[in-house]
Amino acid sequence: MSAPSLALPPVGAPLLSLRHVCKSYGEKRAVNDVSLEIPRGSIYGFLGPNGAGKTTTIRTIMNIILPDSGEVLLAGKPLDMALRDRIGYLPEERGLYRKMKCLDQLVYLARLKGVPRAVARTRAREWIARMGLSEYADRKVDALSKGMQQKIQFAATFICEPDLVILDEVFSGLDPLNIELLRGMIVEQRDRGTTILFSTHMLAEAERICDAICLIEGGEVILDGPLPRIRAEFPLHSVRVAWEGELSPPDDLPGVLHRELNEGSWRLTLAEGVEPLSLLPRLQAVGKLTLFSANRPSLNEIFLTAVLRRRQEVAA
Amino acid sequence: MSKVLTVISREYLERVRSKSFLIGTILGPALMSMFIVIPMLTAGHGAKDQRTIAVIDQAGDVRGPLAAILVEDGHKNLTLRPVEVGPGGLDAAVAGVKREILAGNVHSCLVVPPDFTRTGKVAFYNKSVSSLVVRDDMLKPALDRVMRERRFAGAAVPDSLFKYLSARTEWSSVAVTADGESKQDDAIPFAMAFVLIMIIYMMVLMYGNHTLTAVIEEKSSRMVEILLSSVSPGNLMLGKVLGIGLAGLTQFGIWALAFFLISQHGLTIGGTTLDVSFLTPTILVSFVMFFLLGFFLYATLYAGVGSMCNTIQDSQQFHMPLTMGLVIPMMMLSAVLREPNSTMATVLSLVPLFSPVLMFMRVCVETPPLWQILLSWGLMIVSIWLSARAAGKLFRVGILMYGQSPTWATIGRALRS
Repeated sequence: MSAPSLALPPVGAPLLSLRHVCKSYGEKRAVNDVSLEIPRGSIYGFLGPNGAGKTTTIRTIMNIILPDSGEVLLAGKPLDMALRDRIGYLPEERGLYRKMKCLDQLVYLARLKGVPRAVARTRAREWIARMGLSEYADRKVDALSKGMQQKIQFAATFICEPDLVILDEVFSGLDPLNIELLRGMIVEQRDRGTTILFSTHMLAEAERICDAICLIEGGEVILDGPLPRIRAEFPLHSVRVAWEGELSPPDDLPGVLHRELNEGSWRLTLAEGVEPLSLLPRLQAVGKLTLFSANRPSLNEIFLTAVLRRRQEVAA
Repeated sequence: MSKVLTVISREYLERVRSKSFLIGTILGPALMSMFIVIPMLTAGHGAKDQRTIAVIDQAGDVRGPLAAILVEDGHKNLTLRPVEVGPGGLDAAVAGVKREILAGNVHSCLVVPPDFTRTGKVAFYNKSVSSLVVRDDMLKPALDRVMRERRFAGAAVPDSLFKYLSARTEWSSVAVTADGESKQDDAIPFAMAFVLIMIIYMMVLMYGNHTLTAVIEEKSSRMVEILLSSVSPGNLMLGKVLGIGLAGLTQFGIWALAFFLISQHGLTIGGTTLDVSFLTPTILVSFVMFFLLGFFLYATLYAGVGSMCNTIQDSQQFHMPLTMGLVIPMMMLSAVLREPNSTMATVLSLVPLFSPVLMFMRVCVETPPLWQILLSWGLMIVSIWLSARAAGKLFRVGILMYGQSPTWATIGRALRS
């Protein structure tokens, strides 16, 4: 059986659609009426804090858990088992058969996705080489370090040359060098037309790599769209300041929602409508300023603002 | 379907290539053969310990003939030591011997009174339970003969007539089978039947357990989510059970081939040659069927249990009741063996969990009506189907139950959902 051919939509048109997906565990609503459209050929950040419902949503997409209601479409077709072969999945709870050789493991996982044996073997060797693990091809997974196992796992996700790849916390536990390697590979796959759903709770990481994002909190989508558009919706509302002698900003600054010290300078997140320059006199009163800049909002700030807005809406 | 084949081939190769498979294949027959060799070596020979038996022979001429008959019967390990009655009288002599028994110098003591020939009465002093074997199986038959000989002699019966009268019956035992009759020695087929049942019992238990471990492995290695993104839970389960079953069958096939090759050269152990004519086509077919059906029944049950558990420890509480399904019939074997066609034996052997052991035992000792065999197969197939469905359900619910130990209640809920 070869993998089913799928009539893909043009780049930029929705490849994966979730429509009103709900899932509850007992009383708790883990996923509440989530609707998403993930454009083909993009890296789509699926973001939210721990416990926001990201993994549950992904498991629903992969049919590992059945949604209570709603539907999942791939290129406009209900996502059945055969279509699932077009999706590469790297779960957060990852693992490999410890007693199996790396090469065999990759071949096995590719075969389960419908890749013919000979093709699977060639691709497995190629991926192992790309990961710089050729000498480990015939070693058991047990013999590999955790980082190496993660790279094998990463290769396993892409070996079926999927149209859609779901990566759940792909960088967790990797050193910066390997993160850089995998990040490059993800971008390269995107450039080849693969759509990537990039789920993480590390917003800074997502900011570097994603074309579009979806913020989810408490099982609900609170923000969704291409990153530039989202940024435009959230005007400048943070300032970076530093003083000679490492002074701190006053505690009672009006209109400051959040403050954090980062590499010697303070980042102040402002409430909506607060003009950055209006803070300047108070800040100058603290001491001699060495830095004052108004910044693009970081994803972190966008997220915080969006969550606050949402909570205010719910409260109202 | 090709995905199921992929899973089957991985599960199969993973097992067949493992060291434990190699070791099991070599050690298995060694353990099994002990079930044949040990009974063959010990059967009929009894205890081989050298034993000294004190004999207070007040009749005067009993000890000599008794010793001769014991040698004739093959009980060369018994030494009869005469004890004289001293001036202290019989009581003193007995008291002396009792002390020696307690000290372990003599095994037991036989007191033959002066009027032994007329009354046939003797007294026997002993300490341990093992003396009963010496008393009932060795001394008594021999002493009975001494008494008979002395009574015949007293009645002036000629020696030839005595021999004629005391002759024993000679038996030749023939088993009637569909394809004619064949001579058989009872001891070997029973041992063989027992070995075959032990093989079924151990293989089903062992490979059933493999399934349990394999399913838990998917969860503990966190493979299950990746696999389920490619294969449906039902197909994954099916592939695992079939792959492991095939590995079991391969191991058995190797043993069968080895056994066949050896038996071609004639297998002689302890002077007895194994008679493989016992392995009729009926028995061979039944063996394979009961092994396969038994394996699949227990494997699907074990798989269901495994899918609810995260660790082997979690599975212990559920493991035990399942294993009892195999152990209970083993304990009922002798009852079924005595009356293989009784209502109890018939009913019990139709219980799907017990059939692999009990129905197969009945096939071995006295082939039951064909409909009963077919019915037991049918019931097992239905049970396998039900248990596979239940296992599939449990699997779906159990897969993502990380970090919580299952209870009977959660299993119940999962099955009802």
